[in-house]
Amino acid sequence: MAGKIVVKFYGLLRRQLRTPAIEIESSELSVMELLRLAEKKTGQSFLDELLDPEKKLLTGTIILVNGENVRLEQNLETLVRGGDTVDLFSPAGGG
Amino acid sequence: MNGWMGKIAKIDLSSLKQETVSISSETRRRYLGGRGLGVKLYTDLCSAKTDPFAPDNALIFMTGPLTGTMMTSGRYQVVSRSPLTGTICDSSSGGSFGAVLKSTGLDGLVIQGRAAQPVYLYVHDGGIEVRDASGLWGLNTQQTQKAIQEQTSAKTSVACIGPAGENRVLFAAILNDKDRAAGRGGMGAIMGAKNLKAVAATGGQAVAIADPEGYKTLNARIDRIVDKNPVTGKSLQVLGTSVLVNIINAHGMFPTENFRRGVFNDAEGTSGEKIAETLLQRQSACYKCPIGCGRTTRTKNKHGEGPEYETVWAFGAQLGISDLTAITEANYACNELGLDTITMGSTIGCAMELCETGAWKEKMLWGDAGKLLGWVEDTAYQRGIGSELALGSKRLAEKYGRPELAMQVKGMEIPAYDPRGVQGMALSYATSNRGGCHMRAYMISTEILGHPVFLDRFSTAGKAEIVALFQDISALVDSAVLCRFLQIAMGISTFTDMLRVVTGLDFSDDELMKIGRRVYTLERVFNNRAGFGRRDDTLPPRFFNEELQTGSSRHRVVRLEEMLDDYYSVRGWDKEGVPLPRTLAELGL
Repeated sequence: MAGKIVVKFYGLLRRQLRTPAIEIESSELSVMELLRLAEKKTGQSFLDELLDPEKKLLTGTIILVNGENVRLEQNLETLVRGGDTVDLFSPAGGG
Repeated sequence: MNGWMGKIAKIDLSSLKQETVSISSETRRRYLGGRGLGVKLYTDLCSAKTDPFAPDNALIFMTGPLTGTMMTSGRYQVVSRSPLTGTICDSSSGGSFGAVLKSTGLDGLVIQGRAAQPVYLYVHDGGIEVRDASGLWGLNTQQTQKAIQEQTSAKTSVACIGPAGENRVLFAAILNDKDRAAGRGGMGAIMGAKNLKAVAATGGQAVAIADPEGYKTLNARIDRIVDKNPVTGKSLQVLGTSVLVNIINAHGMFPTENFRRGVFNDAEGTSGEKIAETLLQRQSACYKCPIGCGRTTRTKNKHGEGPEYETVWAFGAQLGISDLTAITEANYACNELGLDTITMGSTIGCAMELCETGAWKEKMLWGDAGKLLGWVEDTAYQRGIGSELALGSKRLAEKYGRPELAMQVKGMEIPAYDPRGVQGMALSYATSNRGGCHMRAYMISTEILGHPVFLDRFSTAGKAEIVALFQDISALVDSAVLCRFLQIAMGISTFTDMLRVVTGLDFSDDELMKIGRRVYTLERVFNNRAGFGRRDDTLPPRFFNEELQTGSSRHRVVRLEEMLDDYYSVRGWDKEGVPLPRTLAELGL
C-alpha cells in the first residue's frame, strides 16, 4: 500500500541528524530499502550507527515497526507499508 | 597481600570499643568483598530476628579486591537488613568513597551499637576517630559533607545521611561525594537509628597489585573495549541513562500513573535527548571512570546532579508529571534530604491512586507538579502527610485497605520497567533478594537492548536460566566491586582477568560464577529464615490480571508461573524456594 511512512530518530541518531522524524512516501518496501531512502532524504549517511560493515544490525540497535522489533520478524528484510511508523534507536543503555 | 588490604575494622558505637580483624584467605576467595563478603559477615553476626533499628544490627561498609584499582572502582556496598523490606539488603554507590575508604588500609567497616549522641566516624591511616556530630545533626547531605571536609581535610570523602535518615524514613539513602547515593533499601535510616551522621575517610595507602605488567596491559585493553563499545563509549556519555525514556516508552512498558498504563504521552519532554538539549551543563564521572554517565544539570533556580532514568520516571510518568524542572528539583531535594528517588516517586504514585479511589481522603492529584517538592520535603521530616508517605507504598496501601495498589515486591518498589512487557524482568523482580529491584538481574539488557544477545521479551522459554545467570554475575561484580555498566561492554572472562592480575589468584570463570551463586544463595537462606518463600516471589496482582491497553505491550500480562518452577529447579531450590541440602553442600554453605 502506498502512503506515508513515518521514520522517527532517537538518541545519538537524532543528535546527528538534527531532526526527530521524517516522512517517506512509498509503496511496500523492506526496512533496508527504507533506511537507504531515509539517508537520501536527510542528506546524511547514518547506516554505520545502526549496522555493522556487513550491513547487519549492530548489537544494541533497535528498529521497531509499529512497535514490533524487526529482530522478531525478518530483520532488515521486514516489510514496511504506507501508514507504518518506524522507530530507529542506535545502541544505547542505562538502568 | 595483593588486592585486599587484609583488615576489617569493627566498631561498637554503644561501648566505643574498636577492633581490627583479618579475614581468612579462604573466606576472601569464597566471597571476594563488597556485597559477597558483606553478606557473609552480616549473616555471621546477625540473625533473621535482628530488628534493623536495634543497636545490635550491623551496618557494613565494604569495598572489594578491585576497589581503588581498575576503572570504575571507586564504588562501595553497604550491607544490612533493610528496614523497608526485612530482607537482606546491599545498597551500592559510586563516586570515590570506596577507593578512599580502602586507602585508609581497610577493606571494610562493621558498625554495631548506637551512639549516645550524634557522631560521625573519621577513618584515616592512623585509625578511626568517633567525633561529635551534634552540630551536624539536621544538616542536609551537601552541608554535612562540606562541614566535615572543613573539620578534617578538603580531600576527605564523606558518606552521610540527611534529615530523612535522621528521621528514620524507611527508604532513606546514604549520599557520598556530593550526589552519589546508596539509594535503595533504607540503609540511611539504619545510620539514623545508630545516631551515626556520617562515615568520613581520607587515606594514602595504595592497593598492591600482583602482576603490575599484566595490570597495565589489561587496563589498556579494557580502555579500548569500553571506548569502542557504542554504549559505554558514546551513548551513556552524551545522553546519560535517561536515553531509555523513549526506548522503554516505544516498547509500551514505561510505567505511567502507578503502572496503569505503559505509554506516557509526554515521554519526549522528559527524555535524555531533552535533558541534553535543556538542563545539561556537563557530564560527570565517578572515580577512574571513562564513561561518565552522570548529569550535572541546572534549572532556573538550582543546580545539582541528575536526573537519571529511574528518577525521571519516578517523578515523571509515574505521577503523570511532564515538567522536567519539577522532576529535576525533586531529584535535587532527594539528594539533599537523603531519600531514595524510586521509592519516593512510586509511593507518591501509590498515594495518588489511593486518593483517586477514595480510599485515602487526601488531595494528591496526578500531574500536580506544583506540590511535588513539598511532598518530598514533608516525607524527609515525617510531617503532615509526609509521615504517611515515609512508610513506603506497601505499608501505606495496607493502611488504607488497598494493598494491591502498592507496586512493590517484598516491600521494595518496582522501578521503571512494566513487567508485563518483559517476562524475564518480571521473574527477576519476583525473585530478587532485596525486593522490587532492577539491579539483581537486569534483563532489560537482553530483552530490550539486545546486549549481549537479543531475546524475545514476551517469551518465557529459557528465561529462568538466564535470570539466574544474570543474578549470579551481578552478585559477582558487586563483590569485586565494579560498576555494572562495564557488563555492557565485557563478559565474565574479562572480570576474571582483572581479578587474576590484581590478586594473583588463579581464578577461573567457573569459580567466579560459583562465587556469585554462593552469594545469591546465602542471601536467599537469610531471607528464608526471615520468613520469605515462594508466596513472596510474586508481583502485585495488577500485572497478572490487568492487560495493558495501549502501546506495543498491549494485551500482555505477566506469566510468572510458567517460569518460577524452572527457576527454582535451575537454582537447586525446592518448590517453596528453599535451597536444597545438596545445593548448600555444593556451595559450601
